[in-house]
Amino acid sequence: MSPFIAWLNRASALASAPAAWGIFLTGAAIYLISEWRLRFLLLLAQYLFVGIIFVRLFESRPEMALLKILVGWLVAGAFLISARFREQTAIAKGIQFRWSSHVSFRILSLTTMTVVAYLGAQRYTLPFIPSDLALACYFLAALAVLFIGTAEQEASVLGVGVINLLTALDIFYSARDPGLLVTGLLVMLTLLVGLAVSYLTVAEVYEPSGGGST
Amino acid sequence: MILPGPLLILGLPMGAALVALLLMPIRLLSVIKAWLVALTAAFIGVVVALAPLNDAVSYRSFELVLGRPMYILGRGLVVEPVDRLPIAFLFFTAAGLFILAWRLIPRSNFFPFGLMMVALLAGALMVEQVVYAALLVEMAAMLAVFPLHEPRRRRILPVTDEGEHPPKETQDTDTSAPAQYSPRTQGGLRYISYMTLALPGLMVTHLLLELFAIFPNDLGLLQSSTALLGISFAILLGALPFQSWISTVAMDGSPPVVTFLFTINLGTVWFMLLAYLESYTWLSQQAAFGPLFTIIGLLMMGVGGALAASQRRLGRLLGYATLVDNGAMFVALGTQQVAGLTLMVMMLIARPLAMGLMAVGLDGLRQLGGGEDRPEAMRGGAWLAPWRALAFVVGGIAMAGFPISLGFTARWGLYRILADENLLQAFIALLGSAGVMMGLISAIENLLTDTQHPPDAVYPPDVTPPPPSKQRRRPRFKEDPLVVLMIILLIVTVLGLGIFPHYASRIARQLAEGFTFLAP
Repeated sequence: MSPFIAWLNRASALASAPAAWGIFLTGAAIYLISEWRLRFLLLLAQYLFVGIIFVRLFESRPEMALLKILVGWLVAGAFLISARFREQTAIAKGIQFRWSSHVSFRILSLTTMTVVAYLGAQRYTLPFIPSDLALACYFLAALAVLFIGTAEQEASVLGVGVINLLTALDIFYSARDPGLLVTGLLVMLTLLVGLAVSYLTVAEVYEPSGGGST
Repeated sequence: MILPGPLLILGLPMGAALVALLLMPIRLLSVIKAWLVALTAAFIGVVVALAPLNDAVSYRSFELVLGRPMYILGRGLVVEPVDRLPIAFLFFTAAGLFILAWRLIPRSNFFPFGLMMVALLAGALMVEQVVYAALLVEMAAMLAVFPLHEPRRRRILPVTDEGEHPPKETQDTDTSAPAQYSPRTQGGLRYISYMTLALPGLMVTHLLLELFAIFPNDLGLLQSSTALLGISFAILLGALPFQSWISTVAMDGSPPVVTFLFTINLGTVWFMLLAYLESYTWLSQQAAFGPLFTIIGLLMMGVGGALAASQRRLGRLLGYATLVDNGAMFVALGTQQVAGLTLMVMMLIARPLAMGLMAVGLDGLRQLGGGEDRPEAMRGGAWLAPWRALAFVVGGIAMAGFPISLGFTARWGLYRILADENLLQAFIALLGSAGVMMGLISAIENLLTDTQHPPDAVYPPDVTPPPPSKQRRRPRFKEDPLVVLMIILLIVTVLGLGIFPHYASRIARQLAEGFTFLAP
């Protein structure tokens, strides 16, 4: 093992518990903040933390972790572009999206899910993976449930929920079977989710030159 | 050069789909694209159904061995004898739907994406491990949203105030003004969410079963696997309480693509469930297996029937009819009899015909309503688009399992089996079907309301009635003769198989014989 990889493994082992909390905090901010440029930056940060977790899982192959980060960033970029397209169309038509509506409800549900995820990670230990990585899995799954369950009207936020769930699954599965095929298929699936959700975000406000309706 | 079967089944459709994707921008070649895709699917269906499994079929320097496994990074894909008819069924159904879509949505991206989806789903049936099958089904689901919510041109403007005949250019897709409508995409979003929520259960089950192979005395692993598999399949099949994606997809989606999802995607999930019951015999041997399937199925039939009976939107009616049909299939499997399994497969065979008819009808009627299927937009639709209304009604009757249709034959057999055991269960199942029929009758009443010749209006004495030429008239739907021919063919097939069901039941029996987990 090269000294660089050894150093990277030591660093990721130290940073994985803070990274799990980083994943949660960035996800929580995405849930509560409405501006998509900020959400984009937060999603970039979240996938950087996810990358730290994957460095620990793919000990001798840090390039796999890099791949995961790049795929997450690519999907974040696709979400940003489609969300900006949707916002621009809405402004042009005089419709105002209230992205931050029901903030108090969101805070309450976020708090509840955090407690559930944290206690779940303490009480029901996942097989195959260390406890700090299990905590990251629980946080990602809780965020996914929140995004999918309460933000269905916001296509891109729902998309973030879907890729969070896939990432949680990826971390859990890779700990047991870090094979190339499952990793490759999950990468393809994440990219497909990014494409599909971006397409749906744009398709609903698709406006050809000659007229139409939303 | 020796080709393994899975390479042909995955590779050829993917290649043809790529060609179709490249042909997409060229409008004039849309016919070639549609037929290329349909013929490819039909060809694969013929090869899988007829080619010998273990002997080579030669063509020039190529030799195809259908049963030869293919390995990708150490993981095997193989066509087992039990997979042949299900895979052939998927490809033949896809070919039929592509031909139907050729006239309904000729320039759609449904053709390349549909062919890719059917190849991935066939891959899910051929792959040996649960985890890869789950991932392939999920990828197919992601591809489905592109044709499901495609912005389309309006064929007919919804209402015209002047004259009986609108300008010709507003009637035809190819020459129309650029009036378009964008779809509501909630159906696609919900479909993506539910399919992803089903994934963890299947992937974790794979890990638990690996552990069980190491610790065979740990029965807790089996119980966890059973629960996870059950929840995942309940989500994938739209069982209660995870049924909401079915009605939302049916309401928002393009009808031919919805038909594809409800016949091919759901069909694959049913065949996967049968394959797992066959592979993991402890699943079907659990005491709760039969009663659980029966209760879930009856609940789905009861709730689906009640919702369908009160439904006024045609798209949602199609969704609830599918829910009831899925419920009937659960009940058939819950009988734990070979006859029940055969009936379940027969319902699966009957569905593409009935739903294909409903899709053709719904597609035309929605165009008549400017992309909407609300009751107000559909009122009087049968007088303006009689063939489409007829297609929807006959398809609906077949989906409801009423005579004379193949669906009726299968449902009747189910009622008889249930009545032998428990009359109440048979009655609940019958009520579910009747609910769909009630919803359909309500839709027929709305479609037959005469809006072209409304009753004489009463005007105040000081108001002069407008001349007849100024009264609001809706344009008549310009029908494509080829679509009419397809409708006639489908109706004849549905009715013919209803009168002579032994042709379909023979295929269903052959398909069901591959699965031996239920003792005869």
